[in-house]
Amino acid sequence: MPRGMYKSGRLRKIFVKTPGGESTIHYRQRKPSKAICADCKKQLAGVPRELPGKLTKIPKTARRPDRPYGGVLCSTCMRKKLLQQVREEK
Amino acid sequence: MSLFTIGRLCVKLAGRDAGKKCVVVEEIDNTFVLVDGNVRRKRVNTKHLEPLKETLDLKAKASHEQVKAAFETLGLSVWDKKSKQSTERPRRIRAIKEKVAEAKKEAKVKKEKKTEATSKETPTKGIEATVTKETETEEKPETEKPEETSENQEVTEQQ
Repeated sequence: MPRGMYKSGRLRKIFVKTPGGESTIHYRQRKPSKAICADCKKQLAGVPRELPGKLTKIPKTARRPDRPYGGVLCSTCMRKKLLQQVREEK
Repeated sequence: MSLFTIGRLCVKLAGRDAGKKCVVVEEIDNTFVLVDGNVRRKRVNTKHLEPLKETLDLKAKASHEQVKAAFETLGLSVWDKKSKQSTERPRRIRAIKEKVAEAKKEAKVKKEKKTEATSKETPTKGIEATVTKETETEEKPETEKPEETSENQEVTEQQ
């Protein structure tokens, strides 16, 4: 029987075949949910789905698209927002 | 008549220069336009531009410097290429270290000499005779001694 902490489903299971032919279970931390646009809730492209500790090892340019609101808004929502700002200034 | 004539100020809406101001420098096509200013000098689809009221006095195919001059009259900044400068790899420089070590040694020797000199000057006259040893600095106290003694003698004579 697994320990109590492994029965809650907090950790994801990985089935590993041992040399003796039996399969054992290893437990890993679950990945965070995918990044979504703050406006339209679409999934964002170009934002890796990694644990925060692993994200720090990736260069910053690989963590989010290099544009205003990159990694927060999708490109179409960003364009709409910029258009609004420009037209308000007019 | 398109809005994107030469000299029209625009705002870029797409890409890494989105939200920055630029100027139309050349009309390439119905859809494409050459753009310069606070952005990379680039061919751009007019769908990715939002025109503004202002226009600048520019010739067709104006150079980046002319655009820069025109932008500065409006009080706007201009994007400039940052050429990478290769920084030197940090290395341990041995020669300097040795020099430092030599300087330290010299300083130490000087200090020792000073201390020796002071130690030999300070002792009282009675002990001096016993203290004198076969060191290199013997000459100095020997030269000093007779003077001192002569002075002392003079003092005694005056008394």
